Amino acid sequence: MAITQFVVNGLLVGALFAAVAVGFALIWGVVDIINLAHGEMVMLGGYTSYWTLTAVTGNAEGSLGLFLATIPIAIVLLFGVGYALQRTLVQRVIGTDIFLTLLVTFGISIAIQQLGIQAWTANPRSIQVAFADPSLLVAGLVVPKMKLVAFVGAIVLTALLYVFLQRTRTGRAIRAVSQNPEAAALVGIDVEHTRAVTFGISSAIAGGVGAFIATILNVQPQMGLIYTLKSFVIVVFGGVGSIPGAMVGGLLLGSVEELTAGLVSSQWTLAVSFTLLIVLLVVKPNGLFGEVTEP
Amino acid sequence: MSTGSEEGGALRSILPPSRVDDLFGFCGDHAWALLGVGAVVGTLPPVFGLREGYYMTVLTEMYLFAILALSWDLVGGQTGYPSFGNMAFFGIGAYTTAILVKDVGIAFPVAMVGAGLVAVGFASVIGIAVLRLRGHYFAIATLGVLLAAQQVSRVLDITGGASGKILLDVPPGTAFYYLFFGLLIVEMGLVYYLSNTRFGFVLNAIRDDEEKATAMGFNTTYYKTAAWMLAALFTGAAGGGYSLFNTFIDPQTAYNGAWNVELIAMALIGGTGTVAGPVIGAFGLHTIIEIVETAFVGWQLVILGAAVIVTVVGFPKGVVGSLGEYAGEMEYYKRGGMAAGGGEAASDPEAEPEVEAGE
Amino acid sequence: MSEAADADATSGVAEGASPTDEEAVLRTDGVTKRFGGLTAVDGVDIEVHSGEIVGLIGPNGAGKSTLFNCITGTLSADEGRVFLRGRDVTGRPEYEIARAGLGRMFQETRVFGEMSVRKNLLVAAQEGGAGVGSLLRRPDDRLLDRVDELLAYVDLGGLADVRAGRLSFGQQKLVEFAMELMAEPDLLLMDEPAGGINPSMLENLIEYIRRANEDEDATIFLIEHNMDFVMEIADRIYVLAHGERIADGTPAEIQNDQRVLDAYLGRE
Repeated sequence: MAITQFVVNGLLVGALFAAVAVGFALIWGVVDIINLAHGEMVMLGGYTSYWTLTAVTGNAEGSLGLFLATIPIAIVLLFGVGYALQRTLVQRVIGTDIFLTLLVTFGISIAIQQLGIQAWTANPRSIQVAFADPSLLVAGLVVPKMKLVAFVGAIVLTALLYVFLQRTRTGRAIRAVSQNPEAAALVGIDVEHTRAVTFGISSAIAGGVGAFIATILNVQPQMGLIYTLKSFVIVVFGGVGSIPGAMVGGLLLGSVEELTAGLVSSQWTLAVSFTLLIVLLVVKPNGLFGEVTEP
Repeated sequence: MSTGSEEGGALRSILPPSRVDDLFGFCGDHAWALLGVGAVVGTLPPVFGLREGYYMTVLTEMYLFAILALSWDLVGGQTGYPSFGNMAFFGIGAYTTAILVKDVGIAFPVAMVGAGLVAVGFASVIGIAVLRLRGHYFAIATLGVLLAAQQVSRVLDITGGASGKILLDVPPGTAFYYLFFGLLIVEMGLVYYLSNTRFGFVLNAIRDDEEKATAMGFNTTYYKTAAWMLAALFTGAAGGGYSLFNTFIDPQTAYNGAWNVELIAMALIGGTGTVAGPVIGAFGLHTIIEIVETAFVGWQLVILGAAVIVTVVGFPKGVVGSLGEYAGEMEYYKRGGMAAGGGEAASDPEAEPEVEAGE
Repeated sequence: MSEAADADATSGVAEGASPTDEEAVLRTDGVTKRFGGLTAVDGVDIEVHSGEIVGLIGPNGAGKSTLFNCITGTLSADEGRVFLRGRDVTGRPEYEIARAGLGRMFQETRVFGEMSVRKNLLVAAQEGGAGVGSLLRRPDDRLLDRVDELLAYVDLGGLADVRAGRLSFGQQKLVEFAMELMAEPDLLLMDEPAGGINPSMLENLIEYIRRANEDEDATIFLIEHNMDFVMEIADRIYVLAHGERIADGTPAEIQNDQRVLDAYLGRE
């Protein structure tokens, strides 16, 4: 049935949105800023994967295994980018006027976008992953294999993050800083380093997701802002502190978009998403799950 | 935080704070006269032969950006609600004139007024939802509004979809020069006037402490909405002029994301919360961007991003703001400092309380 | 505006005055506020008459700030009514109550930091209401003179053009106080005015408040923990404990009231 197909499509892509949103929420909660350049990390991850694959195979095509091998590269690279951005630029505006922090990340976003256009042109690129048979047929529903892989990938990344936060020392440090930076400093945690690590991890996850997006959609230098905004919608819905909330939010958003695309037209999906954003902000500015945060 | 305190040596000897203070005082006392002089000076270039071409366009665009920056500042710098979506008003105004002139056949001046009004109408509706948000949420919501407006324009037929609209039969370049210049002068005068009335004071109060303003009896929603609609009026009208000036409008141009950042950057670099700041910022930054654009095509936005970052990190009060601080840094101490108000003055004879019969 | 003070009249109001002499500027009738299972304010009746300085004291958590917030409209009382000059203002929006003549000073001392001291006072002036005409008019000379007058009153005259955020904490408190006087409220609520003030400034503050009470006819209702301060300045005092009013009377009476001592020492 068509609607079920749309919902399934939505869930598949929604997990990707959720993974991006989780990183966004992490920065928000720990570094206490809204990172308007978050979407650019997705974009950069996609391009990293694209160019790495091209360097190996000569064009942006390859086997699944080869593609998956580019993911760690994207992750590591984006971690470095995120860490560096935080340490050099963002750090300087923490604690100042909210507007200034927004503007800095916005400036970084624009700068990265434009550098991207200069370097790679505005033409969309995509990665072709070779499958013998691109789709599975499950209970009458078409499930593209790559989307399924992306779905699993997003879940894995999110799960890894969750485990990391719960089980490792750095993860605990991150949680401590998000709750009370001063107290964290008092117990010997290097707050600046921890914030930068958080920024790095969030960017890394976003980058990983970006790689998957390059395979199931495409990448172009200006794609980032939309992912930033979707992350915002999801986090507002799910609450800043809540990973489950973000997951639910992402899946929901994906489903709503796919349903809109299928039932109305794909041209209206973004309009629907943004209307949702505004409705959400008006109705529930502090999110439905998770902690209440001061805007 | 005074920006000049440590590095001061050379700066202080050339331009001591008292001089700057005098300058500010002079400008404050003679503001209207200065505006008048500026108005006259601005009308001169076409009279002296600049009728068309590259420089005419640059100047015209400078005025346009000044209008956009000043309008943004009314809500962002004066009222404390930094919108990241003002270009939505611009685009709506642009499309309105485009449609009115091309499809409905209305005369351009009337169409421009229409553009301003439609933008105001849009602002009042959106404002109901958006102005009740604070800080981050407000900024992102406005960004969402901008993107939504852009998407809708891409989808509708009346706006020409993704290809936009082409306008022919437009007035000559000088007409736009005077149009934008005039609009700028009007707006500068209006904002300056308002900044000295209670309306302006309340806006600033909302910026500094909205809860306190409410506790003092001000219906802040009313004031915020008024400022928001005023900003929309000028931004929409400017957009309305722009679509004809450019002879072409499409979703990318109408809701130009880069301009969105630029106008904020201009207000910031020039100095938010002032009248001169956004205008100076617009003139300065636009000139720089034009220069960069001719020398290194395509890099202007990278430079813009860098300029934003440098300003935010280095001198967030902008040119006018930083100068103002620099000028006033000794004011507090000259006028009594900590001792005023009978603070430490245990030995101040005037501060002896006369103890009356307690009750 | 400035009426000649009759020292006897003002100090006499609190002692022998019967509540029916004149309508109370502020009256609460059974105000109750609950947060979940906790009753923060429980059926509190208080009255403040014109020209009085009334104190509100009680141990921490007694519900004093909550009561204040119910009066100002920041919170809505679950039960009971609030009357300002005889007018029922229960449940009205905060800005409306403020406009109706209720001024409020905050515990953490809030002024508009980026604006000059002068502008802070100009904003506070409520003459002419909020009609479009008065909003768009520039401040007239009378208003400007009044600003200078009030600033001189609190000895801050020279700082009129300095950014309010530059002033010391104590000075900001004085600015806030002057702002309230500018607004000429029927009733001024002060939330811990003595908080964070050094002893010498405290003496001045008491003096300023007293003078305002006499010269400007300011009626004041204040929350305070500093017992010396309250006992010295208040005509009458209400005592709250566990959300209930447990005592009221003159400072002398309160100091000797066993119930009050018990409440503060934790006996019940």
